[in-house]
Amino acid sequence: MYSYIKPKKKTPLTQEVILIVSFFSISFLMLFTTYGFLAYKDYKFEKDMNHIENKKQELKISINNLQNRIKFIEQESNLANKIYTTNSVLKDSISNLFDLVPERITLSKAQILKNGLILFGITPNKEIYEYMLEAPLKSIFAKNHTSFYQLENGWLRFVSTNYLDNNFEDLANEN
Amino acid sequence: MKINFPRHIIYSIIFAISLIIFAVWFSTAKLIPMGKEYRKNKIELKKQRADLKRYEDYHDETLKMYNETRSKNRHIIEAFDTKFDIEQFKKDNKKYFINLAVTKSDKFKKEDWYEIYDVNTTSKIKSPVNFYDFLDALNKSKWIIGITFPINFTKDGELIHSNFKMKVYKKKSSDINSTTDK
Repeated sequence: MYSYIKPKKKTPLTQEVILIVSFFSISFLMLFTTYGFLAYKDYKFEKDMNHIENKKQELKISINNLQNRIKFIEQESNLANKIYTTNSVLKDSISNLFDLVPERITLSKAQILKNGLILFGITPNKEIYEYMLEAPLKSIFAKNHTSFYQLENGWLRFVSTNYLDNNFEDLANEN
Repeated sequence: MKINFPRHIIYSIIFAISLIIFAVWFSTAKLIPMGKEYRKNKIELKKQRADLKRYEDYHDETLKMYNETRSKNRHIIEAFDTKFDIEQFKKDNKKYFINLAVTKSDKFKKEDWYEIYDVNTTSKIKSPVNFYDFLDALNKSKWIIGITFPINFTKDGELIHSNFKMKVYKKKSSDINSTTDK
């Protein structure tokens, strides 16, 4: 028998197979792309978290360091201001001391101590000393003691020892 | 009734079912948990970024405070850092006195953060104000200097001799973090 129809060439890639393969290729491409995206995001998350953690640690150290430095500067500043205040108070004290001594009494030596004052000098008589120097000294110092020595010219040499209370002593000790 | 499928259709159906099974397994076993994890991580990352921002803001605030404190106390910081120079001190302050002598006292411990100097001055009895000016000048000097007790004044004719000790403060050697660092 002879057929006039030309035989079709047989192939495994039928139209159905091509359709199925195309459909699944697109589907799997989408699935694997999604997988790749999620895997990359997971890797990026780990990386970002590490970076954030490191950065936080660096910032913590830096903040701690800065706070210590601020604290140290404040300590220095407090100490310096305390010293400046003490110097100023000392200046006023010395100024007051020289203002305190009347013209008729002559000082030969003065010792400003942590908690007191020792004055050496000469006075024409005891009364002048008592009214013009001892009275103001008593108003400042808690404890006072004065010794007198007679001089040949009739004047008196005196040694006046004056002490403050403990509060001033504490303040003076801090210097 | 007998349905007669061509063989290649049966193969195609089996192939398609296999691929569907794989796709379902892949989605449920891999993609869905990963997607959930991704959403969780995204929220966590956002939280961590907000936390980091708070740290950065606090750091900037602290740095600003540090710079302000530094500039406000610049003179004091520099004064603590400056090494005491007796000759320079005498040069700066000799205008207040007829005579000014400064010597380093041996009576100080090495661990102390100050050095003690003995100071002897001579000034005119009529110009005690110079001594006050000297005390004022100390507070503006290049160093942190505190006058210590006792202070002795002795009259010698028209002159007053005074002697006292002064503490010159310096930075403690244990302070590794220098405040002069930028």
